Amino acid sequence: MNSSSDRWLAYFMILPVVAAVLAFVIGPTWDVATLSLTQVVMGQERGFGTLGNFRALAADPMFTLVLKNTAIWILGGTVLCVLTGLAVGAFLAIDSKMTTGLRALILLPWVMPDVVTAMAWKWMLHGQVGVIGSTMQSVGLTEQQISFLGDPDLVMWTLVVVLIWRKMPLVALILCAAIRSVPNEQIEASRMDGANAFERFRFVVIPNIAFSLTAVTVISMIWITAEFALPWIMTGGGPANASQIMSTYIYQQSFEFFSWGVASAMSVVNLVMLMVIVALYLYVNRRSWASGAAS
Amino acid sequence: MNETARPYYWAFISLCGAVIAVYILFPIFWLFLASFKTRDQLAQLPIAFWPEEPTLQAYRDLFDSGSQSSQLLNWPTLISNSFTVAVTSTIIVVILGTFAGYAFARLKFPGRDLILGGLLVSRMFQGAALLLPTYRLMNTLGLQDSLLGLILLYSAFGLPFATWIIASSLREIPVELEESAMMDGASRLQAMFLVVLPLATPALITAAMWHFVGAWSEFAFASILLESSANKTVTIGLASFVELFTLEFQKVGAAATLVAMPIMVVFFFGQRYFTRGLLAGAVKG
Repeated sequence: MNSSSDRWLAYFMILPVVAAVLAFVIGPTWDVATLSLTQVVMGQERGFGTLGNFRALAADPMFTLVLKNTAIWILGGTVLCVLTGLAVGAFLAIDSKMTTGLRALILLPWVMPDVVTAMAWKWMLHGQVGVIGSTMQSVGLTEQQISFLGDPDLVMWTLVVVLIWRKMPLVALILCAAIRSVPNEQIEASRMDGANAFERFRFVVIPNIAFSLTAVTVISMIWITAEFALPWIMTGGGPANASQIMSTYIYQQSFEFFSWGVASAMSVVNLVMLMVIVALYLYVNRRSWASGAAS
Repeated sequence: MNETARPYYWAFISLCGAVIAVYILFPIFWLFLASFKTRDQLAQLPIAFWPEEPTLQAYRDLFDSGSQSSQLLNWPTLISNSFTVAVTSTIIVVILGTFAGYAFARLKFPGRDLILGGLLVSRMFQGAALLLPTYRLMNTLGLQDSLLGLILLYSAFGLPFATWIIASSLREIPVELEESAMMDGASRLQAMFLVVLPLATPALITAAMWHFVGAWSEFAFASILLESSANKTVTIGLASFVELFTLEFQKVGAAATLVAMPIMVVFFFGQRYFTRGLLAGAVKG
């Protein structure tokens, strides 16, 4: 076989994919980075080479609020997603007809369009006729019906709960697969040694799935950072910006207030944050890159 | 584990399983039920679980051109737009992803692993930070407010993952099969189309289903690019109900059911392909 013609065939075959990523991901990333260093007035560019947009962003009183909310969203969301995912994954790893069925069913929230999920939960959490608040009230948990999405102190964590419904299933399924591949002999051996169920899980299962656990944690962070439609449709960043996170802030500044300067500065902050997470991901996955590339 | 060994074991498993099943299904089921209730029933307290007089009125309202909500948005148009965008971009992604996947799996060329790694990493940046520059790009290209622009964008976003799924499944097919076909005089492309691709069909189906679901569900980019009501997609249509939320929730339920329907169909018929793609995709983002 002619290896030089193979090489040209290969470049020809990958050309569309590479061109698409250059045009629609790399190009726009470059564009937003340069835009953030350009003075923009109502969509008109007025000179390059200024940190004015970043100064304006830092001076926006909402900036710290957005950072705080984003921290709850990403860190709170990731930690809770992985913990619930681990619990559900451990349950699904049990051999039984019921868990086999559930393993298929559990992906349903993952494939639901975000807009549908947002509407479903917005309705269940409604302040007057929502089924969750009304049930809590009727069983005597709360005096009055709580307005989950209308209370500035509750809204961020309420969104995190919905986020977990949306993202946990995949975490559970990945960890379930990892747990099921733990060698049975190790579990049996520790059972012989008198370890109880918790000790077997903590000292045999967890060390065996440590790699999957770390990888899935970092991946969840990337998914959650990218999530936009869910919070935007449920609250639009409200009430009074109490649930404004980076993605909703960028959208609002870009397309409702047309403050492209501040929006592009926040986009760059968002990209830098993503780069840190992606670097972490590449570091965690370095083993699989090295072996995966060769295979 | 031996299920008869402990008497409470089975009961415990069933209880946990039931709780998880209800947790997963209830939000979707509740929305579905709401679409058959009347406006008066939805405003009533205490909340009734089942529709008192199940009615299809909400669905009729969506498609009735005289009613208030459909004056703004025409649901048959939205559905046809969404299908056009999702199906066309799926076809593009599968065809181009197959060529690229084959090259990454089978051909040796300088920079191969680096480029594949770069493609995968690029997926992770497809978020809110790209909204503004994408809007600017589409305006420059004159593709704002057009389904063609959306098709190009979704194809570009979906290609890296499709390429990766297809490449990793092609790697599992023994290379000897094509080598012997090529010994017998087949060209590389003949070997690829006649010998390898038939064996890779499951991966192509997985890639297609994944892309279709993502493209059908996409909201953020569609909402910034599409302006005229003739060009909007179903997710935009559903999101526009936010304003008349409480007053017309039966319509929201009906619209959401319509939006979820194709996804449910794909999900239930393609169960095994889905899990495949999920587990493959999860490792690499």
